[in-house]
Amino acid sequence: MPNNKKKLSPEARRAMWRYIWTFQWSWNYERMQALGFAWSIFPVLEKVKKSKDELIAAMQRHLGFFNTHPPMGAAIFGAAVALEEEGADPDVIDSLKVGLMGPFAGIGDTLFAILTRPIIGTFAAALALQGNMFGFWLMVAFGLFWGLLSKYLLFHVGYRQGINVVSEVSEAGLLGRITEMATIMGVTVIGGFIPSILRVQTALKFTQEVEIDGQIQQKVVMVQDTLDQILPYAVPIGLVAFTYWLIKGRQWKPIQALGALVVIGFVGSLIGIF
Amino acid sequence: MQISIGVALALAIWAYIGIVLNLAPGLAWTEPLISGTITGLIVGDAAVGLSVGASLTLMSLGMHTFGGATIPDFFVGSILGTAFGIVTGSVETGLAIGMSVALLMMQLDVFGRGVNTVFIHAADKYVEDANWGRVTLMHILGHMPWGLTRAIPVFLALWLGQDAVIAFTNWVPQWFMDGIRTVGAILPALGFALLLGQMAIRKYLPFLIIGYVLFAYLGMSVIGISIVAVAIAVLYMQLKGGAENA
Repeated sequence: MPNNKKKLSPEARRAMWRYIWTFQWSWNYERMQALGFAWSIFPVLEKVKKSKDELIAAMQRHLGFFNTHPPMGAAIFGAAVALEEEGADPDVIDSLKVGLMGPFAGIGDTLFAILTRPIIGTFAAALALQGNMFGFWLMVAFGLFWGLLSKYLLFHVGYRQGINVVSEVSEAGLLGRITEMATIMGVTVIGGFIPSILRVQTALKFTQEVEIDGQIQQKVVMVQDTLDQILPYAVPIGLVAFTYWLIKGRQWKPIQALGALVVIGFVGSLIGIF
Repeated sequence: MQISIGVALALAIWAYIGIVLNLAPGLAWTEPLISGTITGLIVGDAAVGLSVGASLTLMSLGMHTFGGATIPDFFVGSILGTAFGIVTGSVETGLAIGMSVALLMMQLDVFGRGVNTVFIHAADKYVEDANWGRVTLMHILGHMPWGLTRAIPVFLALWLGQDAVIAFTNWVPQWFMDGIRTVGAILPALGFALLLGQMAIRKYLPFLIIGYVLFAYLGMSVIGISIVAVAIAVLYMQLKGGAENA
């Protein structure tokens, strides 16, 4: 049984603050968060490793590729700190890091980018557009929660659970369930966001000759009006579906899809589609 | 109104601090809504910043750097967009500039992330030598390419580019401004497509449709849709799992 009242050792506390304040400063393409992880855990390694060679080997081990969602990663980091203090088998610590970073990135990205940021962001931006400073403060609070509070709390969870973090999240299927719930909430909200944020309409129109009281008259038909009767917000839906198809169907890189949207925007506005 | 060298310097420092504190602890000061407002306060008109920032935040919703992918830099976009919006006296112009900057800055993000490999290679060597002070230095210095790739363009654009930008916005043809505005309006499509691409959207398509119907046909607000979303998610988990997941 893990001791839930386990207090942080002074070294663990130093490691936690290193993680919270500097974790991604040395982010790079090659090993991403590796140096941040190794440097943050160093105070703990320095305490438990008896010889210089052992310390060097441990640091080299932690300099291996690592990348995850930083707040969720705080739980992995906390568990790794606890395991290093207990003198656990290095292979166990490595497989904990490698095994959890993917799933934790998945749930962290879901909670952050799919669920909370779009909801808070839309709400805050709507207030700000009315000139209300509360929109600004809401966003600041959002940053404080994800940047500081969540990492502080999740580090403690990881530290107290240690290796049990793995079994807790995987055996009960907890991680999968949280991710699925967050995804469903996020997808539902995004279903509403797509038409509400992408307020593009088509300006296309054509003239039709109609016979009124025996006289031929010109009548302007707005394509948008017709579209609205068939499917409201058809243009935003079509644009998202098209971009999704470019990325998923045609395997375009995001920057290529971006280029396509820029071209569509300019050409579309020039020839009067938008 | 002109931007003094002091203000240009202050905004460059803000750009540096904002991006670095977004790496860690992750304060989200790079959020255009926050950064635009702060820029507005520094230049002298918070209302313009609030407005430009909010518009850019809406544009960037859905855009998230999954696994470290480069996305348009709406942070620097919000700084320059707000500053030039105040200088030219037009939120509209500010937005157009902010968006163009966000797209142009993507190259520098790639550059910064690449340069940073220098530090981890050096750290490898210092670890071998057990030179712990230098390892610390490599990690701490790692933030510099991130900060400088934001601060330098901000400073140069404000200090040297001011007259050029004003001249350009006076000269720029209407079709170009219309084009930029349209691009801005359709840009969120990319963010949403990327978000949907991150999840098994085929499986969850019904929920996307429910959200759409709630807004498009029933005119529900964001908060209303969020509340329904919670109920749906709970219900789904209860129905799906049977006793063990209830």
